Amino acid sequence: MTRAILVTGSGGVGKTTVSAAIAINAARLGLRTLVVTVDPARRLADALGITDLGDEPQPHEREPNLWAAMLDSAKSWRAVAIRHADPDVAIRLADNEFFKAASEHFPASQSYAAADQAATFVQAKAWDLVVVDTPPSAGGIDFFTAPSQMADLVGGRLLRLLTGGPLPGRRFFYDRAAKPMLRVADTILGNDLLQRVSEFLLDLRTTYDGVASRGREIERVLSEASILVVTTADPAPLAEAVRFYRQLPELASVPTAVVFNRALPTRWADLAPDPQMSAATGRLIQSWSSETLRQSDARDEFSSRYGATVATVPWSPEAPVDIEGLAALLDNAVGIPWDDLFPSGVA
Amino acid sequence: MLDRRLVLVSGKGGVGKSAVAAGYALMAQRHGLRVLAIEMESGRGLSAHFGIPDLAFKPKEVRPGLYAMHMVRSEALLEYLSLQLRLPGMGRFGAVARAFDALATAAPAVREIVTIGKILWEVREDKWDVVVVDAPPTGQIASYLRAPTSISELVTTGRIRGQADWMADVLADPQMTQLLLVSLAEELPVSETRETLDWVNETGFVEPPLVLANRILDEFSEDVSQHPEVDEMATLHRSLHASQEHWLTELRPDLELPKLFGLFTPTEVAAHLSDLLEDLK
Repeated sequence: MTRAILVTGSGGVGKTTVSAAIAINAARLGLRTLVVTVDPARRLADALGITDLGDEPQPHEREPNLWAAMLDSAKSWRAVAIRHADPDVAIRLADNEFFKAASEHFPASQSYAAADQAATFVQAKAWDLVVVDTPPSAGGIDFFTAPSQMADLVGGRLLRLLTGGPLPGRRFFYDRAAKPMLRVADTILGNDLLQRVSEFLLDLRTTYDGVASRGREIERVLSEASILVVTTADPAPLAEAVRFYRQLPELASVPTAVVFNRALPTRWADLAPDPQMSAATGRLIQSWSSETLRQSDARDEFSSRYGATVATVPWSPEAPVDIEGLAALLDNAVGIPWDDLFPSGVA
Repeated sequence: MLDRRLVLVSGKGGVGKSAVAAGYALMAQRHGLRVLAIEMESGRGLSAHFGIPDLAFKPKEVRPGLYAMHMVRSEALLEYLSLQLRLPGMGRFGAVARAFDALATAAPAVREIVTIGKILWEVREDKWDVVVVDAPPTGQIASYLRAPTSISELVTTGRIRGQADWMADVLADPQMTQLLLVSLAEELPVSETRETLDWVNETGFVEPPLVLANRILDEFSEDVSQHPEVDEMATLHRSLHASQEHWLTELRPDLELPKLFGLFTPTEVAAHLSDLLEDLK
């Protein structure tokens, strides 16, 4: 059975690095591991052996058991919808300007495509473990809600709102006298735009059954995965992490752990400048000890208020730039529940 | 700088753009300007920095002369429709607005024009000396800045056409609009900032932005090797500083803002930044 770990968290907290480090550790324990990442920094991509932008998993050159793939952020639900459309509709959809725009602008679009791709890798049964670095759009919650949002969107919500009734004939859209919405839209946007949008929506509607059933499948795969929430103690990512932690049980499952990245040594909290030290040294000590204190306050609050399993990954002065550095990143990590993440008996 | 009527603050997520936007609004308020601060995204970015529980669509006075609001697309749309159509009884237009909103999902630039449009109406009103916007992150800012021009290209006959033209003019006018890009001195924020700069220069929807590097460490050069634990701190500090120096040469910011350590509240952070932003040219 393929296990999956979904690594969530807001951008800039080191989510991609942590995902890579977990994957390398798993591979070195003998698990056939695929790490799926989004838009990694160049040096991280190099370390993982990701050389081109393709979304096909590539085996790592020097690391047996490790594969890496990149989620193609340009890809969107267009590809998915087109896959579920009749051939002639698919051709019209593929060229449609509104579909391109809606794909770019609908926030769940990229997340849907990413979730679809991740689920495909899990379902392929080719790996023991798939580690997914979720896309940062809306911090990763989208990843879990996108499948049903997409089905809802394609499923005629637009059409019902536009027409006030069940799926109509094409003429229905132009029955302006009956529809104040259309009068409003005509005045402001012009009739021609509305006509083109409505034609597109009717085409899109035909893909509903396919998109909806795939959406349910994706949700099932995601709900069986372990979830890690990665954060730092900075206020913005921390607030996001709290939001994820509270929302995820309803959307998928209770996160396995909250991973505080870039943790400073806790003993620094107790350091204080002594009077013989220079002003600059005093400031250095005060700065970093207060930062350390803030971090441990944040962790304590997370575990006491929400009952979360809290893990820490120490702040390494140099960001890991190669595979050995990535593997070592978790050597001094505390509290990562490996037994819950890996198949039994491995960790 | 303070004579600009519209200041848009963007940056990669997590770099502190809300704090900078709040700091700029406070700085302008201190100079006696009538300020409207607008939070574009959901969440508590600006409100936390102003020390109030939350913001609504209706502007709220958070300091004397400084008002703040939260952009809510459905309300902006409702307001727009009722103004445009001069129809009383907006209530029954709720359904129409929802339908329009759904339609906007499918039509390029329509969803953005509703919110950027609301901002630009406020700029055109004589009510404010400056409108400061905690704008969407750099990943999404392009679709907002492009929206008026896209609408002009897409819509051939509707009333929105003429409005889109003056909106594009306000955005492109260097006397009116200033984009601030906040970044950290780290690889991903720097590369995202540089991509945005390139895009702005290519498209010209706004004048070249000012770049602010946030959370910059000062140099620490003393020898503290006789105190091993302090030395550990110094080692971390120096390596972070060295890495920042490297990324600063790539970023070439117009202003560096220091990292504020420790136990500051969001309100204190915004107050500090408002002092530091006095140096913005």
